[in-house]
Amino acid sequence: MQIRLTVNGKPVRADVTPRTCLADFLREALNLTATHLGCEHGICGACTVTLNGQPVRACLTLAVACDGYEVRTLEGLLTDEIMLALRDAFHRHHGLQCGFCTPGMLVSARDLIQRGRAGSDSEIRKGLAGNICRCTGYTDIVKSVRKAAEALSEADKVRPPSGNVSTVPA
Amino acid sequence: MTRAVAKSELGVGARLLRKEDARHLSGKGQFVSDLKFPNLQDVAFVRSPHAHARIKSISIPADLEGQVFTADHLPHLTEMRAIPQVNGFRVAGYPALAKDKVRFVGEVIAACIAPTRGEAEDLVGQINVEYEILPAIVDPESVLENAPSLLHEGWPNNLYIERVFEGGKVDEARQAAEIVVERRYRMNRQVAVPMEGRAVLAYRDQRLDELVVYDSTQVPHIIRLGLAEVLGIEERVIRVVAPDVGGGFGSKARLLPEEVIVAALGAQLDHPVRWIEDRGEHFLSSTHARDHDYKITAYADARGVILAVDAELIVDAGAYALWPNGPFLETGMAARNIPGPYNIRNWRVKSFTVATNKAPIGPYRGVGRPGACFAIERTIDEIARQVGRDPLDVRFDNLVQPSQMPYMTIANLLFDNGDYPGLLRLCAETIDVAAVRARQKKGEPDGRLIGLGFACYSEQTGHGCGEWVTRGSPFIPGFESCRAQLMPDGTLVLYVGIQSHGQGLETTLAQVAYEELGIHPAKISVRHGDTGLSPFGNGTIASRSTVMAGGAVAKTSRLLREKVIQVGAHLLQCSPSEARCEGGAVHGPRGSVTIEEVARVAHLRMEALPEGVEPLLTVTSTYQPAIDTGVFTFAAHAAVVAVDVRTGAIEVLDYGVAEDCGTVINPMIVEGQVRGGVVQGIGTALYEEIPYDEQGQPLVGTFSDYLMPGSAEMPEIKVAHTETPTPFTEYGVKGMGEGGAIAPAASIANAVRDALASIGAEVNETPLTPRRVLAAIRAARDRISPANGHGQRK
Amino acid sequence: MCHPERARCRRMKAAAFEYTRADSLAEAIKVLCSATEAGQDAQVVAGGQSLLAMMNLRVSSPDLLVDISRIEQLRVVLDEPDAIRIGACVTHAAIEDRAMPDPSRGLMPMVAGNLAYRAVRTRGTLGGSLALSDPAGDWVTVMQAIGARVGLVGDKGRREVEALGFTTGLYETVRAPNEIIESVRIPKLSAAARWGFSKFCRKSGEFAHSIAAVVIDPERDFARIVLGGSGAAPMCLERASQSLLQRAGFQSVEQAAEDDLANRDDAHDEFQRSVHGATISRALSQVLS
Repeated sequence: MQIRLTVNGKPVRADVTPRTCLADFLREALNLTATHLGCEHGICGACTVTLNGQPVRACLTLAVACDGYEVRTLEGLLTDEIMLALRDAFHRHHGLQCGFCTPGMLVSARDLIQRGRAGSDSEIRKGLAGNICRCTGYTDIVKSVRKAAEALSEADKVRPPSGNVSTVPA
Repeated sequence: MTRAVAKSELGVGARLLRKEDARHLSGKGQFVSDLKFPNLQDVAFVRSPHAHARIKSISIPADLEGQVFTADHLPHLTEMRAIPQVNGFRVAGYPALAKDKVRFVGEVIAACIAPTRGEAEDLVGQINVEYEILPAIVDPESVLENAPSLLHEGWPNNLYIERVFEGGKVDEARQAAEIVVERRYRMNRQVAVPMEGRAVLAYRDQRLDELVVYDSTQVPHIIRLGLAEVLGIEERVIRVVAPDVGGGFGSKARLLPEEVIVAALGAQLDHPVRWIEDRGEHFLSSTHARDHDYKITAYADARGVILAVDAELIVDAGAYALWPNGPFLETGMAARNIPGPYNIRNWRVKSFTVATNKAPIGPYRGVGRPGACFAIERTIDEIARQVGRDPLDVRFDNLVQPSQMPYMTIANLLFDNGDYPGLLRLCAETIDVAAVRARQKKGEPDGRLIGLGFACYSEQTGHGCGEWVTRGSPFIPGFESCRAQLMPDGTLVLYVGIQSHGQGLETTLAQVAYEELGIHPAKISVRHGDTGLSPFGNGTIASRSTVMAGGAVAKTSRLLREKVIQVGAHLLQCSPSEARCEGGAVHGPRGSVTIEEVARVAHLRMEALPEGVEPLLTVTSTYQPAIDTGVFTFAAHAAVVAVDVRTGAIEVLDYGVAEDCGTVINPMIVEGQVRGGVVQGIGTALYEEIPYDEQGQPLVGTFSDYLMPGSAEMPEIKVAHTETPTPFTEYGVKGMGEGGAIAPAASIANAVRDALASIGAEVNETPLTPRRVLAAIRAARDRISPANGHGQRK
Repeated sequence: MCHPERARCRRMKAAAFEYTRADSLAEAIKVLCSATEAGQDAQVVAGGQSLLAMMNLRVSSPDLLVDISRIEQLRVVLDEPDAIRIGACVTHAAIEDRAMPDPSRGLMPMVAGNLAYRAVRTRGTLGGSLALSDPAGDWVTVMQAIGARVGLVGDKGRREVEALGFTTGLYETVRAPNEIIESVRIPKLSAAARWGFSKFCRKSGEFAHSIAAVVIDPERDFARIVLGGSGAAPMCLERASQSLLQRAGFQSVEQAAEDDLANRDDAHDEFQRSVHGATISRALSQVLS
């Protein structure tokens, strides 16, 4: 099936089979390999990318369902202000070891900060529950996210809630 | 040979930020599944749905010929045979593709190849296998009676090996005992779950006429050895490359069927092939771990000083012995670590390493030690309760004392140095025992019960030749290698035989080289994981890399420095004895010359070299520590838990570690290793388990069933260090990578015991699930008031 | 909770299927009916967070997926005088973020925010959860407790069913094969209404062993306690609900709940009973002292 979408700011046209998940589409068709597959059933978070600005599981999203949408992977978020702060903090505070969970972790952490949900360690821990790391034991990841959030002004970064809804008076 | 080092910002002791971060933080890591090759095809496997069966036939639709491979299609493959040099170990081959029989659910029967993984899985569905189902051996204790079937033909029973370990005189010593504690402990089967599963990609490089295998492995040179043997080809025409590896923890240190099959297909087909393990396959057939059963009888005096330990240990090793070592490694380590860090002089372990119709086991962070630690640490707590003393005090009375160092344990482990009681005290301070006790007394508003538990261990690391020979290892990883190569522009490349998969060795080894040569770590490349680049090495396992590769880099760098000084002195027109190498330059009485200038001369201006000195500045050498019985890292762990007696839920409120791993090259990395290990240990303690049903079917298959420790449930892990250099290694370093995972099951189970002390409940099986906790509480309450059968229990 | 079928599934890429996106409800229903006539197994997909996971494991392999996630009608929220009617394709994240007026006085946003993980909540939908009726899923229990009604549309027209009767068993509902959930109507709780919610899961975001939801709205003469969680279909605790409505004290309600529990399929399981007792007590204690 033909699809057209925007990936990391660039328009993309492709012909994909319906069963191709977004993660495989990004990795195989577009050579964007930062997004990793760790479970393919939505729990580990290694495949987290953004779809129309919202974090999603690329393993549980069909490429064909993304027709007309905007996708961003870590590769397309590198110079985003929040992401820059996160990448710097993860480096300074040892927020990664093997690196496999890192792209998904960064995308989730960025969303947390953007929604103003990185105000405390316990809030960060709860917010990152959907990203499994096997190497770090989380302490340094949480510290990295907190440090990044502190380095940014929270108020500037809080965005309005997800908007797939329109409310109509009956 | 220990050399004291002054702390610097770039060398040994520095919290140097990691060189490997840059690529991962940009999403430019290269794991096997990220590699692109033209015409690459995916492999999916037909796997046995039965635990034990004879294969009667395999039907492959005619139009799939060329895409499906069974044992008959690859007749040249020999079986993997793990042959430890241990008397009485029964050897059986492990065929990469099952031919006559399957012995565990998930065993590979055929490989299907297609342009995408989804299509390859479609092919799997079209292959029809007929089976004659045989009785499955699932309960390892059944091996001690008559088993309904035999896994391996020609064996008298389903035992890999039966072995008694002993030292001292248990039967005599126990006569003097005033108390006896008898318990049974179980550490259930689990898997390692690196976030990147296994992955293999292979193709034939026509230009070089070699088979190239990209493998997510911890031991590339060893894999090459194994592949050469099984494929029947020369090692010089195989190159194994471990690119970025997303965690291993021991599970990627064995040769497994899928690696053999993909390599064989890559050798024979005209296009590259790859297999990327999915999570379901990881649970099914990656290296399984733990699965120990202990019966411990401990004899002690009235103060709780242990006089003797008599044990029975059953290790459920699964259907096959994994190449190269086989499962006795696990059993031996468990048995020899039952005495722990305690001064126990009489010890006996009757061990049974059993074959069952389950996935084969192998090493996973800590190997046999988490189970042994669980057994002895729980027992020490029970001894303390029986004699009416604080478990901490009983530990102090049993621990090996600094004055006893070096100390040869009754199990022939030679503790080199360490202040074990001091570290236990530091641990108690770190967790703030007084504050915990106060909180316990006060009571929780939500009614949960607070508990505090301790556990400690001494981790053998960097052990060398003699130790591996003692263990009967077929290969002796008692050394490491390094080739240090100065480029003409004075930058440095270190080629090493280990394989960094999260431990930051690209950074720490550069710190070591800086220490010796004064070249900035940013100008040093560490190349590892590639048999085409590095001299033969033994990979990253057994907490060995810092000691072994760190030592190899130090030694090789020093040899290189000697030559640099020779050349530099000549350029400075002084004698080498008047010159020194520091800060990236050679300094003499009348001036200095940079390493860059020296390197340029050595490569491009040979006429300026001194008499008898050859061009190039490349040195290769191997290193082994001054002692081969290992250097021991001790740590004491403390866990604070809250137990909900209505649901059995356990929350770890606080966790503290006090450890001493000798000289620390990079404290940031060491702390990260401790924390990561501890959380894996908490996984063992509370969450992780692969149960099998009576037919040998594994009962978990996804992360919905197999729970992983997540950020929301984990506490902050507090880490306190002391640094006592060991006399036997470069800079006095010790290994420590596995340690964090060894004690949490024990410290948490002891904390739960403490929390439930008023009820008298014990949980002696991991993971300590809510179900097991509630059952233990019920059992304890039934013991207290057995007549209360009809009462409403809340 | 163990899933033996999943343990046997040794595949992680979905089987091939056809895919079509419907722009309207009418179109979606038409496609479903044609598929039925042609003997094709067609399934509706919105967020796909449960369905696609099952398809990856090949536990479910429909021939055709009909994507309804972009049908405007299904994403609308209607603010009625006594209720809020939420379109079936409204995501958990939208409810969490309070993107619409909240009829539940905080219950629904709180539940939404603790459901699975954020990256799943941005796609998963209220309608999808109800259609699946996984007993360990929060919405089935909560919608029953709050007295919601499920609006369905099919080739035979529209109908509305009480949430309480909508789920009939494990993963079983009264939805006919060619029916689509259109909306969920949630009565607005009055100012004096109170609710309690407690769930027991071992790990954040994972399936719950036990979920207890309590809603009392005396002004509307409504009181309900519903118990869900893996292992058995959610059930309304009738005696306890009655007892609650009659303003009985905490212990009486708790006792009545215990009696109700004896009727559950997992009543023989001591662990489950203890855990259910805990969640019920905790939910009740948020409402009664």
